Amino acid sequence: MQALTTDTDGGVVDALLEQTARFCAREVDARAIDAAAQIPSAVLEGLGALGLFGVTLPEAHGGAGLSLADACRVVEVLARFDRSVAVSVGLHLGLGTRGLVRYGTPAQHARWLPALASGACVAAFSTTEPGAGSDLSALRTTATEDGERLRVSGEKSYVTNGAFAGLFTVAVSTPGLGGAQRGQSLLLVEPTDAGFAVQREEHKLGLKGSSTTGLLFDDATLPRDRLLGEPGQGARMLQHILSWGRTLMSAGCCGGAAFAIDKALAHTAQRTQFGRPLAALDVVQERLARLRARHFAMEALVMATAAQADDDALATHSLAAKVFCSEGAGFVADEALQLHGALGFIEDTGLALVVRDVRVTRIFEGANDVLLTHLGQSELLRLATKPVDAGAPALDRALADFARALHDTHRLRIFRAPRLLHALGAATQWVMASRAATARAHHTMQPTHLALAQLVEQEARSAVSRAAAVTADAAVFQQALGLERLGVTP
Amino acid sequence: MTTDIDARVIHLIAQLVPVKEKDIKPEQRLRDDLGMDSVSSMELLSMLAEDFELDVGIEDVADVHTVAATIELVKVFLAKKAA
Repeated sequence: MQALTTDTDGGVVDALLEQTARFCAREVDARAIDAAAQIPSAVLEGLGALGLFGVTLPEAHGGAGLSLADACRVVEVLARFDRSVAVSVGLHLGLGTRGLVRYGTPAQHARWLPALASGACVAAFSTTEPGAGSDLSALRTTATEDGERLRVSGEKSYVTNGAFAGLFTVAVSTPGLGGAQRGQSLLLVEPTDAGFAVQREEHKLGLKGSSTTGLLFDDATLPRDRLLGEPGQGARMLQHILSWGRTLMSAGCCGGAAFAIDKALAHTAQRTQFGRPLAALDVVQERLARLRARHFAMEALVMATAAQADDDALATHSLAAKVFCSEGAGFVADEALQLHGALGFIEDTGLALVVRDVRVTRIFEGANDVLLTHLGQSELLRLATKPVDAGAPALDRALADFARALHDTHRLRIFRAPRLLHALGAATQWVMASRAATARAHHTMQPTHLALAQLVEQEARSAVSRAAAVTADAAVFQQALGLERLGVTP
Repeated sequence: MTTDIDARVIHLIAQLVPVKEKDIKPEQRLRDDLGMDSVSSMELLSMLAEDFELDVGIEDVADVHTVAATIELVKVFLAKKAA
């Protein structure tokens, strides 16, 4: 499969990607990493020597100063070889260091960035808590002022890179800090800070080589200069940081899907059934073509997302990319396994591992169902300020008609109707992916790309039609569930 | 002069933003001063429409960027409802 491409620093990045692919082919054994549930330190050191931990960090502090789009290309290549490695590096480049790079003071930069750029120090990031998953406004880990220090108490969960990180960016509730009654702030935490402890390693379905731990703040004390950015403005900073994280995670999904498609193409070309290779059967051809189309759209949407300079546009695009690519990776991995028949169920093929690895991408960094609701909200707002004109492509008009119908029926109450917003978000991600795929195909004008974009548009039309069939009436669901028996009030 | 409507609107805004109710002023911008984003602004306006029983659409709130404009919107739609 063709890799992600960008226009910037092409030569430098291409060379880095070639070196990375060669290193991974030589040193990264995905099955061994899965079996040991650990990435060998030699692999992490080798990635550090290649400069991968500094890809997005400023050149002044030892990084390469490359763009989000370039970092996506790196993560995509890593994910073709091993998703645990891709997640560990991608987390470091995005969620782990983006806040420090963008909002850190010169003193904070000087203190941590050099080691982060070399890979001597790996970064982690934490928002999720046992009682607050995707709801950032419900954070219970709290930091309060105590003279020149901050006292922090609470618990965090599912922290990637937790076991070996040297720096954690942690979102906490800071009532009153910076004049904000219910504000959140970001803190920079080191493993040796008093009262702070990394909890045990979680046992997971996939991504076993990556580290996932909890964090405990037991009346931890931190100097006040560990505050990152403006106190009380954590929500705004998080929007930007999470956008980067979701985009890089989406690129990882592209890499996992590319691996699975390569496997499926090779197997169906070589495996003979009924006297012909599987790939000669029209039913198999259609399935392979749809896998390639989905992957083509995933890559196009990631690149379109990474190219967004405006924070709001990046946030909206990253929502769509995260959902579309994680759902797409799951679909592609499952279909590729199916095309292998019983062989796909055997670990040696490598597809069972991809299926297990990509499953969590629909959950972490914002559960897809929550993100689709946010995407539906964003699309309603976009259409309110930028109506679609009669000359727009049919797909855009179909989506706009659906959104308009929802609004005309429910008015502003639509913003408090998650199921309808979810349906609009589901349609929106497909339309955005189709737009990106079409633009990519028109840019290259390759016949294969034009055909792939056509297949994506067909699926996007179906997605809009399915979503537009949603109704506000939830009575049948409530009746089917027997909510009264469960003691739940509708 | 602060009215009951002003106070009710500010009370609802305080449910959604990281700023103390007493510190919310009419001249403040929902986004830059109060930390709201476009989506939470819409949630606020949706809450207001429900609380005051107003028939407000997205097109009516496109230019509502401040606390004062939010209060004014509620007053205009209450007057329309009463007319």
